[in-house]
Amino acid sequence: MRSSIAILSLILGAIGIGQAQESPYIVTYDHHLEEPGNLEIETFVTMGVPRAAQSFYVAPWMEIEYGVTGRWTSELYIEGQGTAGDSAVFTGWRWENRFRPLKREHVINPVLYLEYESTNEASRIQKEIVGGAPDVESPNSDLQGTKNHEIEGKLILSGTAHDWNIAGNFITEKNLSRSEGFEFGYAFGFSRPLAKLASGASCRLCRENFLAGVEFYGGLGSTEDGFGVRNSAHYVAPVVSWQVSENASIHFSPGVALTGQGSPMLIRFGYSYEIRGFGSRFTQWFAGSH
Amino acid sequence: MRTLSAAILWLALGTSALGQNPDYQQDPKWQAPPEAANRANPLASRPDTAAGGQKLFRRNCVECHGADGRGLAKKHAADLQLNSVQQQSDGVLFWKMTNGNPDRGMPSFSKLPELQRWQIVLYLRTLKPADNTPAKP
Repeated sequence: MRSSIAILSLILGAIGIGQAQESPYIVTYDHHLEEPGNLEIETFVTMGVPRAAQSFYVAPWMEIEYGVTGRWTSELYIEGQGTAGDSAVFTGWRWENRFRPLKREHVINPVLYLEYESTNEASRIQKEIVGGAPDVESPNSDLQGTKNHEIEGKLILSGTAHDWNIAGNFITEKNLSRSEGFEFGYAFGFSRPLAKLASGASCRLCRENFLAGVEFYGGLGSTEDGFGVRNSAHYVAPVVSWQVSENASIHFSPGVALTGQGSPMLIRFGYSYEIRGFGSRFTQWFAGSH
Repeated sequence: MRTLSAAILWLALGTSALGQNPDYQQDPKWQAPPEAANRANPLASRPDTAAGGQKLFRRNCVECHGADGRGLAKKHAADLQLNSVQQQSDGVLFWKMTNGNPDRGMPSFSKLPELQRWQIVLYLRTLKPADNTPAKP
């Protein structure tokens, strides 16, 4: 009982004031890392609209992101998938880290990204697209048994000009479970807030609480199947985020396929909640418990 | 009842004072380049926009600098009321907010639009300068 109260106190006590201006991108990464000591909990969904011979699917995932230092953010993903007329399956987890090598803001700010993935072939969150396109036609029973242990690296280049954020990611992925060579992909986006000035009033629907933009993402082939854009999925997706409270934001992005690969449309939405000062409160709680 | 209210008030004030950071020492390596330091605040003639700056300050800065801007010791955050901070030019404060000082825990706020960062600078000027005599031991 005492521990339950302590955990509840920790959670409630940790809920501080949140950071505004979350990036509206869902696939593309910009150069802004999580602030040190802050914890962000995010839930997202990718819904795949089917072509003929495909089924509608919903692929939810949860991200727990923590600012380890001012230049290092670490994030854990847990994901699943449910397909109409088929089944719902757990599709694995991922652990990603982003490092910012340069201290100051520059015209172009590089961020290095390293991720380990333990997923199976049924994964359809499509947080990035590498190689060709995910298999969205085979039944989950066939896909779930094929496990993937993968290492993924990204070079994130991002900058801000006249309040526009412009970000590009070059992605490479290596499957350690089987020989697929190196697979490549890209993501590119630009966005900006809808208002340059903040009003003095407390408001939810003010323009300053919205960011909007567009992102493009897709596969670039692999060393085994050849480098290129022809046989891979590519999407263009408007993105919008709305900061609904001091520490919460909602994201929405309807992506439209530019090629005949994969799903013709990916509808994504999510909710982010940031707990400021989580690290110091967590430390304090444990220090106080002795 | 009045005794209880007074005790709560004193406890709150005492806790607040303990959280402040009057011993803040600036990072000597965190220096704005001259061209950035000389930039003027484009909102200087629009003091009405400071209200928006206050809102942004509450959202983005209070966690470390406190509601009164005096800086929380546990966060090693700057006391923004100190003369040594208030004497810095608008351009320097804007540059520091834009770039951050990640090795000392100050994040970059370049994700905020430029004018919103200037609004925060405008609001910082409204914080009352502290009595800068050294704190008694």
